[in-house]
Amino acid sequence: MTSSQTSRRGWVWHALSLLILAAFCGSLYLASKRIDYTWRWSRLPQYLLSTGGEEIDAPFDGTVSIAADDKTLTITPLLGVGAAQTIPDIAVPLVADGEVVFRGNTLGKKPGISAGPLLIGLWLTLRISFVSLIFALVLGVLAGLGRVSHNPTARDVASFYVEIIRGTPLLVQLFIAYFFFAPTLHLSAFAAGVFGLSVFTGAYIAEIVRAGIQAVPKGQTEASQSLGLSGLQTLRHVVLPQAIQKILPPLAGQFINLIKDSSLVSVMALTDLTKAGREVVSSTFSPFEVWFTVALMYLILTGGLSLVVNRLEKRLARHD
Amino acid sequence: MTETAEVPLIKASDIEKRYPNGTLGLKRASLSVALGEVVVIVGPSGSGKSTLLRTLNGLETITAGEITIDGHLLHERAADLRRLRTSVGMVFQQFNLFPHLSAIENLMLAPQKVLKLSAAEARARAEKLLAKVGLADKADVHPAQLSGGQQQRVAIARALAMQPKVMLFDEPTSALDPEMVGEVLEVMKQLASEGMTMCVVTHEMGFARAVADRVVFMDRGEIVCEAAPAGFFDAPTHERLKTFLRQVLKA
Repeated sequence: MTSSQTSRRGWVWHALSLLILAAFCGSLYLASKRIDYTWRWSRLPQYLLSTGGEEIDAPFDGTVSIAADDKTLTITPLLGVGAAQTIPDIAVPLVADGEVVFRGNTLGKKPGISAGPLLIGLWLTLRISFVSLIFALVLGVLAGLGRVSHNPTARDVASFYVEIIRGTPLLVQLFIAYFFFAPTLHLSAFAAGVFGLSVFTGAYIAEIVRAGIQAVPKGQTEASQSLGLSGLQTLRHVVLPQAIQKILPPLAGQFINLIKDSSLVSVMALTDLTKAGREVVSSTFSPFEVWFTVALMYLILTGGLSLVVNRLEKRLARHD
Repeated sequence: MTETAEVPLIKASDIEKRYPNGTLGLKRASLSVALGEVVVIVGPSGSGKSTLLRTLNGLETITAGEITIDGHLLHERAADLRRLRTSVGMVFQQFNLFPHLSAIENLMLAPQKVLKLSAAEARARAEKLLAKVGLADKADVHPAQLSGGQQQRVAIARALAMQPKVMLFDEPTSALDPEMVGEVLEVMKQLASEGMTMCVVTHEMGFARAVADRVVFMDRGEIVCEAAPAGFFDAPTHERLKTFLRQVLKA
């Protein structure tokens, strides 16, 4: 069959693809029926968006007084240190008038829609991925430059780093970050997670940077040097601008990997999307729905990013 | 032609290039180029002529001998090398234009960064040079949109933008389609007629005969003989040169 025939009857093939996909989903459903699984999708939305209201916590230790309207709380600090604080519009007070509360205790709920545990987890996943990316970029560019450096020590150190990190599993590295580096360097769980993820991703970015720099023909460096530019000027004005065009697309791909890899931080005391999924499973007893939903949420993140990456690649290709 | 200089602009004495694996790329080669002189180096491929040329601005290291440029020893120390390189322009076989910069930006980069010219000064200089090589209208075009001949003319202008004392040409027309060789040679002839000191590695025997003050023949890493073009081509004395000329002129 020639390609023109394929494209003219394209919709037939796409319909077949859809059919296969539907058959696959159907068989998943039938498989779940065979173990008497009851699908309860209706339980899920409240874990994405909670309508129960936003919980208000006590800002400091103090004594609560409730106003006559039953909606305005005033909290007076214990020991009389500092000013009293008034919190209006509490829909459902969960404390009694005159009660002593401590910092972090729930005072009541404000009405409205708030993010459920899955969305909160998603937010943490995004945050930890993004912060890790920044650190990984710095590490990766430094190590990548080290790999192509003329200085043997810089080369050794960079190679050592890249080989060690690429030769050990991320999960083990995260355990080391959490159980060794967190207590010795006094890192919070979040910082330890960022540490582990950025050290891991940095090693891969180093290889991307190295490959990008080495893809710039040697003649470019020679031409630049023959004009009297220094090594640093050559790197900055000639090599890096060309390397960046080659580096950007795989770098964006590495960010997508980072988002997926970040699911492993759920083994630390961090409630990312995956950990949130586990918690929701234990309260709903609906593992199938939850895990498919969690997968879909990751897919939306990574899929959205790859769309951006594709567009980026096309734009860079146009400039060539 | 002005041949007043007592000290040659370039003087390479007994230079040797031994590769790490022990083979000799250059065997005790000596070459001097006077101010305003055009020296053309010819020879079979692999004879070391490009290597010799590249040693003259430190792109290739040497293992013995010494090179002086305008009286200064060509050190291997980076700072001195950089200073000397600004007085030696280099044109490559593969042009090596910077693809991410437009033609005029290619010309402006080094004068701004190395000579610390202002953007306006560098631009004025670049515009003049682009006009000189007949490409004033291509200033804002990127190298990928230029023909090979045009790219090489931009590359020549880029080297000239540093106002070098001597220009080195490493097979400047070998990567070009035949119909573009002429335009590049024309620019080089014009440069020579303006008194630029030039050292050219080429296979263009017609150019050598017409423009060179002196032709140098290299074979197997050695400078075999050198002579003015008339004697070089019409009355070759050396046996290896005769063989070479027979092969080239037959083709």
